[in-house]
Amino acid sequence: MGIPKFLNIWGTHQFWVGFFQSLGVGRIVFSSDTSEEQYREYGKGRITMDSCFPVKALAGHMGELLHKDINLLFVPMIYSLPSFLKGHVVDTLSCTRVMMSVENIKAGFLREKNEFEERGIAFVSPFVPFAEPELLPKYLWESLKEHIPGLTLEETAKAVKEGFRALEDFERKMREKSLEIIRWCVKNNRPAILVLARPYHMDPGIGHDIDGEFQQYGFPVLWYNYLPLDDWLLEWLFGEEIRAGIIRSYFDISDVWTSSYSSNTNEIIWGAKFSARFPWITGVIRLSSYECGMDQPTFTPVQKIVESSGTLFFKFGELDETKPAGSVKIRVETIVYYLEKYSQDIIKKKLSRLGAVPSQLLV
Amino acid sequence: METKEFHYRAYRPRPFTKEERSKTTILFGGLTWKHERLIQGSLERVGYKSMPLPNIERQDLDIGKEFIDVGACCPTTFTAGNLARTLMTLREREGEEGVKNNYLFVTIGACGPCRFGQYHESYERVLEGLNLTDFRLFLLDLMQMEQSAPGGGLEISMPLTFGLVYSMFYADLITDMEYAIRPYEVVEGSTDRVVKESIELLYEKLKNRPIKGKKIDSLVWHVFTGYFVDALKEVRRLWDEIEVDRLRVKPKVKITGEFWLQTHEGDGNYNIKRWLEKEGAEVIPPPVAVWMDYLINMELFKLEDAKGFVKRYYLKKLAIGTIASLYRMVYNRLRRALNNIPNPLPDQRKLKDLARPYFYYRLTGGEGHMLIGKALYAYLNRQAHMICELSPYGCLPNTMSVGAMAKVLGDYPDLLYAPIEIKGDAEVHAYSRCQMILTEAKRRAKEEFEEVLERTGLTVEDIRNFEEDHPELRRATYKVPHYGYAGTASNYVMHIAKLMGRI
Repeated sequence: MGIPKFLNIWGTHQFWVGFFQSLGVGRIVFSSDTSEEQYREYGKGRITMDSCFPVKALAGHMGELLHKDINLLFVPMIYSLPSFLKGHVVDTLSCTRVMMSVENIKAGFLREKNEFEERGIAFVSPFVPFAEPELLPKYLWESLKEHIPGLTLEETAKAVKEGFRALEDFERKMREKSLEIIRWCVKNNRPAILVLARPYHMDPGIGHDIDGEFQQYGFPVLWYNYLPLDDWLLEWLFGEEIRAGIIRSYFDISDVWTSSYSSNTNEIIWGAKFSARFPWITGVIRLSSYECGMDQPTFTPVQKIVESSGTLFFKFGELDETKPAGSVKIRVETIVYYLEKYSQDIIKKKLSRLGAVPSQLLV
Repeated sequence: METKEFHYRAYRPRPFTKEERSKTTILFGGLTWKHERLIQGSLERVGYKSMPLPNIERQDLDIGKEFIDVGACCPTTFTAGNLARTLMTLREREGEEGVKNNYLFVTIGACGPCRFGQYHESYERVLEGLNLTDFRLFLLDLMQMEQSAPGGGLEISMPLTFGLVYSMFYADLITDMEYAIRPYEVVEGSTDRVVKESIELLYEKLKNRPIKGKKIDSLVWHVFTGYFVDALKEVRRLWDEIEVDRLRVKPKVKITGEFWLQTHEGDGNYNIKRWLEKEGAEVIPPPVAVWMDYLINMELFKLEDAKGFVKRYYLKKLAIGTIASLYRMVYNRLRRALNNIPNPLPDQRKLKDLARPYFYYRLTGGEGHMLIGKALYAYLNRQAHMICELSPYGCLPNTMSVGAMAKVLGDYPDLLYAPIEIKGDAEVHAYSRCQMILTEAKRRAKEEFEEVLERTGLTVEDIRNFEEDHPELRRATYKVPHYGYAGTASNYVMHIAKLMGRI
């Protein structure tokens, strides 16, 4: 089983591992991280329309897997996502380009000849609505039953449960790790940086390893999608606003964002709110790819949410396949200068607006 | 490093009260002048003062870029710029307080993750940029029959919703007539004149329509009344007077694409429909009604997928299926009043099935699978010689279905397909691309016409002679049936041949 390591797989990969392991699939092969080489060697000639680079890069991932020892290429069309904000927002949909990317890129592998068939590889791309858990097994079963002999709907439903369990376990561990980092910051009174991006910006070929550059300067880097969600912490940050009737829950973003349809966008907005309140996050780094239509309306609100609390905000926008390593390094150096200069003031100012630091943070 | 305020809050419009209705004008826009004039009639009937935004101009793109965040798609930039231009003009004329108190802007959205559901975020940047954050901007949900904005001043009731639906149907049907007739009009300008007269007549009908009931009774009246059909019969008499020459051989170009761009008539899409006509084509414009039909049917398809998980499945299916049927029934009744000259709405299930191998129907956003379904439907049913797909620069869903068309073209290499990316400021490039495909479409239209003449054994002179004895054939409202040819002239020759007993 080959799975391209692309787009929404970055937020759901543990689900797929748990799901296929439960079904007894022998071996799962992920494609490599995105790279210019991968894109040029395997994606060239398969791009049928100009789009953002994260979508175009899918061609490279699929092409690379066609050269690996696999029987089945699994490229899900992920329509909606599991999200910690579900129930607090209107919907948890994927970016329309991201969910549709499979149909677009697939066309590039079929227009002249069927490259999947030619290599003896079955191509499977189920429709995946994570927000409709009752329908998820049905769609997965319908697309996989031809390729996994004897597969039943009941087995698929059980595997979906296993998938969710694996994803939840992984996310719990990641959040525990973030909490550990946060506690270290509190203990040592050191600032941390929060990255607001899409999960696929963790892919070095898409996010250009910008987060890694900051780590080299000794700044712990947190990602919004794995922030700790412990009640005592969120109560400290958001409790007063709930009691004032501004928001209905810790995860309510309606006070700052009224169009809460898109999962990643909603989570980015929530991450911005978290960063504006949490004292030891003194700098926010926004990453966005060239042509990201989902991010575009959020640029001003996210910046304002972050900066209204005095937190430093920096944006690396319009990221494309070209890696501007030199200019990134210069920019990171400048940002680091500001972080070092202002962080302690920011921590003090933000602390003054909150109640006593919870004892759980002082462990 | 001074902090302005501790926490940022989203824009919330101050309330609009019922008492303010009589002295406040509702601004709205986004459709053609025809749709907007008729919407105005519907709003006025229920007591609102209203004013459509001016038609989109090239300068709106530049104004939009000044105010909204970088990277916006072409429609957002144009419409945000259009709003900004309007507010600036009003401010100059009536002062800041005048704009804030005497006007408000209403837009629709809330249909999902594409930018369409987030237009208001960009409009809010316009208000900030103009220092008009007290100006009221309301976002309404496209799929709600009844809703109200804070303050109770703006209430969308069933009678108003149905008025808006008929405004959309009327404007769509007149637009269909317009593009089917203008390329063949004998007296230049006669179609444009009749379009204006038709819209004014229908505006009066909508403005003076009776209000019968508030809920179910309102629905029943709007569905079964003869009031709206009778109005179109009056309109038909205006069109009867236009003389046409259907022997002009023209390639038929079907317009598809992103919702705003394909329905728009102005600088926002380089006036491409008028440009195509000037270049000798007949255009099939896309009705707004197709998109509403798509949204209704998608609910039905989703429900069918969820069979087994939905309580009262058959009852729900019956309810949505009835709405879908009534929608089409009303549209077809109105078409009949115009002698079925306007095109019927395509069968949504057929579009879905045609697109299925290339684009999964549940991938919603923009027009979803419809772009592919429509292109294939037009090609396979010989509805048009060429498809011109208008795709806005920076559009999220549209680019994906355009890309998926690569496989369609692999399977149907004869399909003439011109995907045009519209940036708003690169018309030469767009025209040039379109021109290349249009040249081939013209050749096909000519070949098809010659083939029909040969098949029927008729000459143009024979047809002219026949027309002299049958002047009704040259009326704009004369319906020529479809004989399996894309071109109007070819079908016309076949029809004459049939009337003459040649086939």
